[in-house]
Amino acid sequence: MVGPNRLPSLPDDWLDRECIIPFSFEGKGYQGFAGDTIASALAANGVWVLSRSFKYHRPRGVLTMAGEDTNALVQLDGEPNVPADRRLIEPGLRIQGQNCIGSLKRDWASLLGYFGRFLPPGFYYKAFFKPRGAFAFWEPIIRRMAGLGQIDLHAPHDYHDKAYGFSDVAVVGGGPAGMAAALEAAKAGAEVILIEDGRQLGGSLNFGRYGTDRAAAVNLRHELVATVEASPNITVFTDAVCQALFADNWLPVIQGNRLHKIRTTSVIIATGALEQHIIFRNNDLPGIMMGSAAQRLIHLYGVRPGKRAVIATTNSSGYGVCLDLIENGVEVVAIIDLRDDPPDCPLSSTARAKNIRVISGHTIVEAKARMGNRHVSSIAIARGQGPHQETDPVQRLDCDLVCMCGGYVPAAGLLRHAGADIAYDEETAAFVVTPLIDPIHAAGAVNGVSGLEALTADGRHAGWQAARDGGFEVDARPARPTTDPAGTRPVLLPVTPHPKGKDFVDYDEDLQACDIVNTVADGYTNVELLKRYSTVGMGPSQGRHSALPTVRLAAGALGCSLDDIGLTTARPPVGPITFAQLAGRQFEPVRRTAMHHRHLEKGATMMLAGPWLRPAFYGPEADKETCIREETIAVRNNVGIIDVSTLGGLEVRGSDAAEFMNRIYTFSYTKQLDGRGRYVLMTDETGAIVDDGIAARFHERHFYVTATTGAVDAVYRNMLWHNAQWQLDVDITNVTAAYCGINIAGPNARAVLSPLCEDVDLSVEAFPYMAATEGMVAGIPARILRVGFVGELGYELHAPANCGEALWDALLEAGRDHDIRPFGVEAQRVLRLEKGHIIIGQDTDGLTHPFEAGMGWAIGKKKKDFLGKRAIEIRKKRGTTRQLVGFTLTDGKELPPAEGHIVVRGPDIVGHVTSAASSHTLGKVVGLAYVAPDQQEPGTRLTIKAEGGRIIDAEVVALPFYDPENKRQEL
Amino acid sequence: MADTESSPTPESFLKRSPLYRALRSRGARFMETEGGAVADSFGNGDESENLAVREMAICDLSPLPRHGFKGKGALEWLRKQGVAIGNEDNRAYTQPGGSLVARLAPTEALILGNLSSENALSAQLEGDWSIDTAPDCYAVPRNSANFWFLITGLHAPNMFAKLCGIDLRLHKFPVNAIAQTSVARSVAIIIRADLGAVPAFHLLGDSASALYMLDCLEDAMGEFGGKPVGISAVRRAMKS
Repeated sequence: MVGPNRLPSLPDDWLDRECIIPFSFEGKGYQGFAGDTIASALAANGVWVLSRSFKYHRPRGVLTMAGEDTNALVQLDGEPNVPADRRLIEPGLRIQGQNCIGSLKRDWASLLGYFGRFLPPGFYYKAFFKPRGAFAFWEPIIRRMAGLGQIDLHAPHDYHDKAYGFSDVAVVGGGPAGMAAALEAAKAGAEVILIEDGRQLGGSLNFGRYGTDRAAAVNLRHELVATVEASPNITVFTDAVCQALFADNWLPVIQGNRLHKIRTTSVIIATGALEQHIIFRNNDLPGIMMGSAAQRLIHLYGVRPGKRAVIATTNSSGYGVCLDLIENGVEVVAIIDLRDDPPDCPLSSTARAKNIRVISGHTIVEAKARMGNRHVSSIAIARGQGPHQETDPVQRLDCDLVCMCGGYVPAAGLLRHAGADIAYDEETAAFVVTPLIDPIHAAGAVNGVSGLEALTADGRHAGWQAARDGGFEVDARPARPTTDPAGTRPVLLPVTPHPKGKDFVDYDEDLQACDIVNTVADGYTNVELLKRYSTVGMGPSQGRHSALPTVRLAAGALGCSLDDIGLTTARPPVGPITFAQLAGRQFEPVRRTAMHHRHLEKGATMMLAGPWLRPAFYGPEADKETCIREETIAVRNNVGIIDVSTLGGLEVRGSDAAEFMNRIYTFSYTKQLDGRGRYVLMTDETGAIVDDGIAARFHERHFYVTATTGAVDAVYRNMLWHNAQWQLDVDITNVTAAYCGINIAGPNARAVLSPLCEDVDLSVEAFPYMAATEGMVAGIPARILRVGFVGELGYELHAPANCGEALWDALLEAGRDHDIRPFGVEAQRVLRLEKGHIIIGQDTDGLTHPFEAGMGWAIGKKKKDFLGKRAIEIRKKRGTTRQLVGFTLTDGKELPPAEGHIVVRGPDIVGHVTSAASSHTLGKVVGLAYVAPDQQEPGTRLTIKAEGGRIIDAEVVALPFYDPENKRQEL
Repeated sequence: MADTESSPTPESFLKRSPLYRALRSRGARFMETEGGAVADSFGNGDESENLAVREMAICDLSPLPRHGFKGKGALEWLRKQGVAIGNEDNRAYTQPGGSLVARLAPTEALILGNLSSENALSAQLEGDWSIDTAPDCYAVPRNSANFWFLITGLHAPNMFAKLCGIDLRLHKFPVNAIAQTSVARSVAIIIRADLGAVPAFHLLGDSASALYMLDCLEDAMGEFGGKPVGISAVRRAMKS
């Protein structure tokens, strides 16, 4: 025996009694068996207090033993809010109670219970705000008093992932109805996934009592499980929680650290029903639990839930609980049957035959506890169901266990995600889930069915429907159950607040019956408002047990029916879910150029450019400024090489290629000669600049167009969309990844490159600025473009990416005698800024049109049309409101402003800086900024307001800053 | 494991797989093929790699030839070159010489070279095509645009289920079926082409993301004991 409350071994319990596991709770050591949950192992050891409640810090213990409530949430190392009634014990597991200030045993915050009348729903909306600033005082106190467990911000990362799953039929719920449904669907040939949130298939068959002898349930379970396991087309997920039912039958199922994303043709929801608690004063004391929780403790974990029990019931299931208790050595003091005239049924007859005292027409008024509310010690009962007064005559019954059998509510969260609703049918005294739309079906208790035969018959019927929906050939429609065994229907009885309160409707939020009534009295009569004001149903158990009594209390207060009140919206997820489970394994594609490893070998500091990794500069971060300066010097004075593989590459081919280019870009391309490159500027329908690049024409029907790294995918989509509209004879292919790109630039670029070109004459006469050709470079086929982004003699080589590393090596080898130097993105940005070249997205924003960016020269003025033409004309006619200009700082010692720093004139913001850098070549700070139109003339003084209010004086200068006659790039 | 003296180094060729360093760090030995170096084996013995091919393995075929053609005249031009292409999109057609032609659309096809011998068809198509001689047919540089992996083994569908939303279970995704989809959030083409009785899937994607994809695949394969194998193991599986 491990623990004084441990029962002898049962044939179908979930324990391995050969394996003893030590663990600790609140610093004290205990032992349990393998297979024990934290709650069952503690209960076996006589520990019933698991946590403290949210608001009044009342001791709380086992309520459902099914992971459906807040009472059993505990703190593990690095993990808060662990359901103690589901999580298995492990060797060395350290567990702490939650929500206590002091210790779980002595929580001084429990004194708040005495001030409950001053803490009604919404009290925090009305308090703490006056005098002004008071909330700053109260906030940390409130935060400390409220809340659940503690998050460990230093907890190690854990591996979580996701996997797709597919089936013809998915059955959620592995109880009798679910298993019968799966088998029926599988019989027709459907592939079935059977999802069970418990550790084993069986559902209520694992612990429930459907007849005078539990053997009926046990035998049926064995039979169904064996048949399921022998069915090759049924895949069983256990310990798996289906969290939602989304459109098109998309089921997210959490199993351990994996999120299964299941797509299925048909869905059967067989999630059973949730046993409900009974409202009376102190109904939250440890030792007061659902009848099914007591059955779970006995049959799954071999734990005796108490010694002297009282059972309060509204239906026949309480008698089954009674039989289970007495068969396992628990004295049953009485069954309190809340019904005035309970019908006979086999269970009640058997219980009466065992001389169990049955007190009908009574209800529990109050429970009392030993010192400190740590365990129930007695109850008081009174006749009738009406409002009770303190003066009502009561009977007192001593007990240490109270089992509440308050009927069942369909666990219909998933069905409600699919648009179904729950209605209470007064005539049959049953909840009905309606409407259901094929291919979603309900089976079993969630469908309002009870009794073994009825459950399996309903399951078979749903399985048949699901198989039929999936197009499988099915036999004759199975019969549906028509009647339930007598007395199994839950009976709704009035819920009446106790005059002294602590009659909890919602355990999560410590909401008493009077809180709901008072909320309605405050005017929150709509159930959604009632929920938000009172916070009922907003805790971890999400209204599983509080929704029904809340609706009944509200209906009673308003004098209307339950249907008039309705239920709040059911939203995913059904159960708790961690961010890690939602995140799964991260998939963030990272693109590397063919020369990536060469950059690393050279000591580059890499940076992200969209999804690409690019060298920012070659050297350590600590030497950043030096590296950038030396790299710019190398390009200006000698020769440098940069990896530009991330540039977008687009092939535009076809007999209408030139016409297409003419329409999609602002410039004119119909007369562009083969073997020539031309600048491209793309605007959208509003005339805003979206991209730029170079178009090289290699054939009458072929343009090779470059695009910016970040925009190429959007440009490609834009081209495809417009090509579909225009119906031109053009084919567009995105070849970005197919080509590596290398720019070799500097006065010695030609000297380095020429020896590698076998069939291309790079002389200035044969290959002038903006020439383009195809040829062999170092034995590699390449497209060669003579461009000048950095303002020096330069060539851009585009070669097959799988040859990129070899081409890079060849260029570095050829340039060795010239001290060629690789340069990174940072140096390139400085070089292009010196040349006054803009970067789309940095020097432009989503509204910039060509004229305000000084790009009017890139507009084909004689063209009939192009994308954005009309908008540009309109905006030009209206006049610009800002102008991009070059500037320098008047104080040579001033640090450069940063991108985004504002340009001010008096109290007005007239623009902002888009680029700025300290230029070694020019010996001064240069930059680009938007200014007011009347400030664009060179010589205009500007005021830039930088970080911390620093004022920088600047002056507008003509662009470009460097080599205004463009002689160097045309060498 | 370093290359042996008889094993060529990938750096000795102009064309290189984006993964040659990653494969070498996993023990790859290389052999020359089609102007590049392909991983031949990983030095763990033939039986080990044979078993991996049957259970769960990845083979980098990126150094092998592959070509694409698109445009409204692409399929017609290919047929004129003797390529057998049926009328069904998203289906691969095996050629007499062993090459695989994947019809991606009515206007696009992808040609994968034969895994076991010289690729005459690839060479022929590459040589014959020009923008002047192939009306409305445009070459797509698949050789350099795409990595090319072969994913093999019984566990392959379950492994893919962790990365891809397409149902690739063997009885749902038949031999020669094609999925143009997303794998680990990266655009990819999947073609089922079994090696005899061994399930196998060609996987082609963005060559710049090859290392990222290898990382994702190896991570997903770990659960099934998957590992990289050389082309020799694949060829043995084709013959068995």
